Amino acid sequence: MTSTSLESQLVIGAVLFALGMIGFLTRRNLILIVLSTELMLHGVSVNLTAFGRYHGNPQGQVFTIFVLTIAACEAGLALSLILTLYQRRKSLDVYLWGNLGEDDLPVFTGGSTVTQSKPGDPNADLPHLTPAGRAPTPPAIKA
Amino acid sequence: MFDWLKPHDVLWLIPAAPLLACLWIVVVGHVVRRQYAHRPVILAIAFSAVLSYYLLLKVVPDHFGTPLAHDQHAQEHKPADHEHADHKDGDHKGSDHKDGDHKADDQKAVAHKDGDHKTEEHPVAKAKPSTAISVNVFGETERDGKVTPVPWIRIGDPQGVPTLLVLPTLRADAMTALMLVMVTTVSLLVAVFASSYMKGDPGYPRFFAAISAFVFSMCMLVLAGNFVLMFVFWEAVGLCSYLLIGFWFKKPSAAAAAKKAFVVNRIGDLGFIVGIFMVWQTFDGSIDFDTIFGDPSVIARVVTMQPEILTTICVLLFVGAVGKSAQFPLHVWLPDAMEGPTPVSALIHAATMVTAGVYLVARCTPLFVHAPTAQLIVSGIGATTALVAAITALTQYDLKRVLAYSTVSQLGYMFMALGAAAAGKEFATLAITFAMFHMFTHAFFKAVLFLSAGSVMHSMGDVIDMRRFSGLRKALPITHITFLAGALALAGFPLLSGFWSKDEILAIVYEASRHPKHGEFFTVIMGVALLTSLMTAFYTFRAYFMTFWGPEKFPEEAGHHPHDAPPAMAIPLLLLGVAALVVGGATGPTHLYGNYLAQTPGLPAAHHHAPNVPMMIISSVLAIAGISLAYLCYVSSPSISRNMKSGMTWLHTWSQEGLKLDAIYLKWIVKPLRLVAQISEFIDRWVIDVIVDCVGFLPGLFGAVLRPIHNGFVQSYAMVMLIGLVVCLVTALRVLAGM
Repeated sequence: MTSTSLESQLVIGAVLFALGMIGFLTRRNLILIVLSTELMLHGVSVNLTAFGRYHGNPQGQVFTIFVLTIAACEAGLALSLILTLYQRRKSLDVYLWGNLGEDDLPVFTGGSTVTQSKPGDPNADLPHLTPAGRAPTPPAIKA
Repeated sequence: MFDWLKPHDVLWLIPAAPLLACLWIVVVGHVVRRQYAHRPVILAIAFSAVLSYYLLLKVVPDHFGTPLAHDQHAQEHKPADHEHADHKDGDHKGSDHKDGDHKADDQKAVAHKDGDHKTEEHPVAKAKPSTAISVNVFGETERDGKVTPVPWIRIGDPQGVPTLLVLPTLRADAMTALMLVMVTTVSLLVAVFASSYMKGDPGYPRFFAAISAFVFSMCMLVLAGNFVLMFVFWEAVGLCSYLLIGFWFKKPSAAAAAKKAFVVNRIGDLGFIVGIFMVWQTFDGSIDFDTIFGDPSVIARVVTMQPEILTTICVLLFVGAVGKSAQFPLHVWLPDAMEGPTPVSALIHAATMVTAGVYLVARCTPLFVHAPTAQLIVSGIGATTALVAAITALTQYDLKRVLAYSTVSQLGYMFMALGAAAAGKEFATLAITFAMFHMFTHAFFKAVLFLSAGSVMHSMGDVIDMRRFSGLRKALPITHITFLAGALALAGFPLLSGFWSKDEILAIVYEASRHPKHGEFFTVIMGVALLTSLMTAFYTFRAYFMTFWGPEKFPEEAGHHPHDAPPAMAIPLLLLGVAALVVGGATGPTHLYGNYLAQTPGLPAAHHHAPNVPMMIISSVLAIAGISLAYLCYVSSPSISRNMKSGMTWLHTWSQEGLKLDAIYLKWIVKPLRLVAQISEFIDRWVIDVIVDCVGFLPGLFGAVLRPIHNGFVQSYAMVMLIGLVVCLVTALRVLAGM
C-alpha cells in the first residue's frame, strides 16, 4: 500500500464533493451550508493533488495551497455575513431569508395604505422612500 | 404726432398686449404677487384701447365722419380692387421691417395707400369707402427686402397652386375699428371694476388671465382677415367664455352652466364651419375676406352660376351666429351663463362675445345681400328671439337673469335689423349700420346694468334674488344712479342711447314693411319689435323698482350695513353710466357712427336715411308706457302684480320657465342623448374593457405558471443549477464520446 491508485483518490474526492453537495442541498443551518461548500471545495482540491501526483507535477499541490488560502478568507467572509444575518433574525435558519419582497415596504394592496413603521424598528426615524404606485401623503397638519 | 407708429404695427400690437399680459400671469403672476394680478391686465387692455382709438383715426383717414356722397357709388370699389391686385402679385407696397433680425413680427404687407390719391379734389369727393389695412403676422424677409408671407395652413401640391392656403392675415377696416374700440373700452372698464369685485377670490390671477386671454381672442376675432382665422378665434372666445362661466368650478351649477354653454355653442359652430367649407368650395379655394368681399365681380360670378348656393352658405354662417349670439332656439345657454362672475357676464355675455354673431353677419353682408331668403330667416329668428326672451324676462326674479334675457332680446333686435335688407338691397348698408349701432350702444348700457347688478350682489352678500332685497336706493346711491341710467337707456327713454339705436332699427323695419317685396313679413316683424320694445321697458323697470324702490330690506347675508361700491367699482360704473346716456345721442343722430361704418369696403351703396319722427314718437310712448306700467305694478299698487300673478298662474310659470324650452330640450334631446351615452358606456365597459382586461390577464397567467419555481430559497436554486450542470456535463461527455 505504498502507492494509492489514482482511482481511489478520485473516488474520495468525488465522495467528498457529493457529500458537500448533499449537505448544501439539504441543510437549513447557515453554518452547515457554508461547511458543506467547504467540503465541496476540498473534494475538488483532492482531485487536484491526485492528478498532480499522477503526473509527477507539483502544480496541483501548489494550486491546492492557494485554494486553501482563498478558502480561509472566504470562510471568514461567510461567517461574518452569517453573523450579521443571525443578529437580524436571532436564528440561523436559511428559510427565514426566503422572502423576495423588500421587508421594510408594506405589501401593495391597491388601496391607500399609509406606511407605518413597526414598533422597535431601529430605522423608524430614518427617511424612507415612498413606495411606488402611490401619491405621497402630505404630512398631517398639527392643529 | 404718432408718425413712428405705423397703422400696420397697431394691428398686431392690439391683440399682442393682452396676450402678453395673459402669458405673464400664467407664468409669473400666478405665483408671485397674486393679489396684483389685475395690474398687467389693466395696463395691457388700456394700451390696446389707446391703440384702438388710434386705429379708428387711421383706418379712415382724412374724411372721418364725412357723409358719403351719392355720386361716388360708381367708384367705391376701386380701392378694394387695387388692394386685391396687390395681394395677388405678392407685391406688398410699403412693406417695412425693423432691424431684420426680428423674425416674427417684422413683416407687414400693407395695402393701405389712401393718402396717395385724389388729394386735389374737393373734400366731399374724397369721401369714399377706404381700403382695409392688412398684415400677415409671420413672414420671411428675402434679401432684396421683398416679403413672402408664410402660410399658416397650406394644403395641396407643394410646387403648384395650393388647394387651401390660409395666411395669418390681420385686417382692419372701419367696422373692425369700431368693434375694437367697443371691445377694448368696455373690457378696460370691466377689468378695473373686476379688480375690486373679485378681490380676495382664491382664483384672482386665474380670472385675470382668462379675461386677458378673452380680450386677445376677441381682438383677433374682429381683426381676422379670413374665415379660418376668424373661426379659430371664434372658438377661442368660446373657450374663454367656458373658462369664465365655470370660474367657480366647485359649484355644480356653474360647472353645468359652463358645459351647457360650450355644448350649445358647438351646435352653432358646426353650421359655421360647414359654411366656411362651402365658401371655400364656392369661391375656388379662397377664404380671404379681401378676395371674396373686396371685389363685387367675384360674388356676381357666383350669383350667375349658382344662385342658390349663397343662400345655403348664408344660412349656415347664420347658424354659427345663432349659437354664439344666443338666438332662438340656441339661446338657452346665455341665462345659465350668469353663473359666472358678474364682470364676466357684463363683458362676455352682454357686451362683446355674444355680439360676434352680429359682427359675422354684418361682415358677410356682401354675401347676404344676394340671399334674401337667408335674410328673411335672420330677421324671423331675430324677431322670435326678441319676443321669446322678452316674455321670459317679464317674470324672472333673478336680477342677472332679467338682464341676460334682455341681452338675448336685444340681440334678437339686432338680427331683426340685419335681415331687413331682404326687402331690397338698398337697405343693406343701413340695416347693418343700425344693427351695429345698436350693438355699440347696447354694449355700454348693458355693461353698466350688469356691473350695477354686480355691485348690488357685492353689497348684498352675493344674493341676487330680487324678492330678498328692496329699497336699495338709499343704501347704494351710486349703484342706483348707474343702474337707472342703464335701465333708461335700455328701455329706450327719449334722447338716451337705446332710444336712438332702437328707433333706427324700428325705422328700418318700418321701411322694409312698406316695401312691396316681403312687406307683410316685415309688418309682422315690426309688430313684434314694437311689442318687444314695450315689454323691454316694462321688465327693465320691474327689475329696477323691485331692487331699488319699496321698503328697505336686506338679506341677512349682507351684514348690518350694506356698503356702496368702492371707488374702483364706482368709477367704471359712473363712466359707463355716462356712456350709456350720451354715446347714442352723440354718435347716432349726428350720423357719426353710420358715416364711419359706411367706409367699410365691400358694403353696397347707402342711401341717406331721414329720421323717422312718427316712429320715434311711437317708441317713446311705448317706452314711457312700459316704465309707467312697471311703476304702477311694482311701486304705487303692488297688489296689481300679485293679482295678475295669482290670476294667471299657468302663464306666469310658463314665462318664468322660459316657455318651458329647457324642459322640452331635456325631454326630447338631452334624455335621448343620455340614453345613447348609457348604451355606449355599457358597450365600453362590458365589451371593450373586457377585451382589454383579457389581454392584460394573459401575462399574469403566464407568470402564475412560472412563479412557484422562483421561491427565494437558496437550495432550490442550487438544485436547479445542479440539474443544469448535470445536463451540460452529460451532453458534453456524449459529444466527446462521439455518441
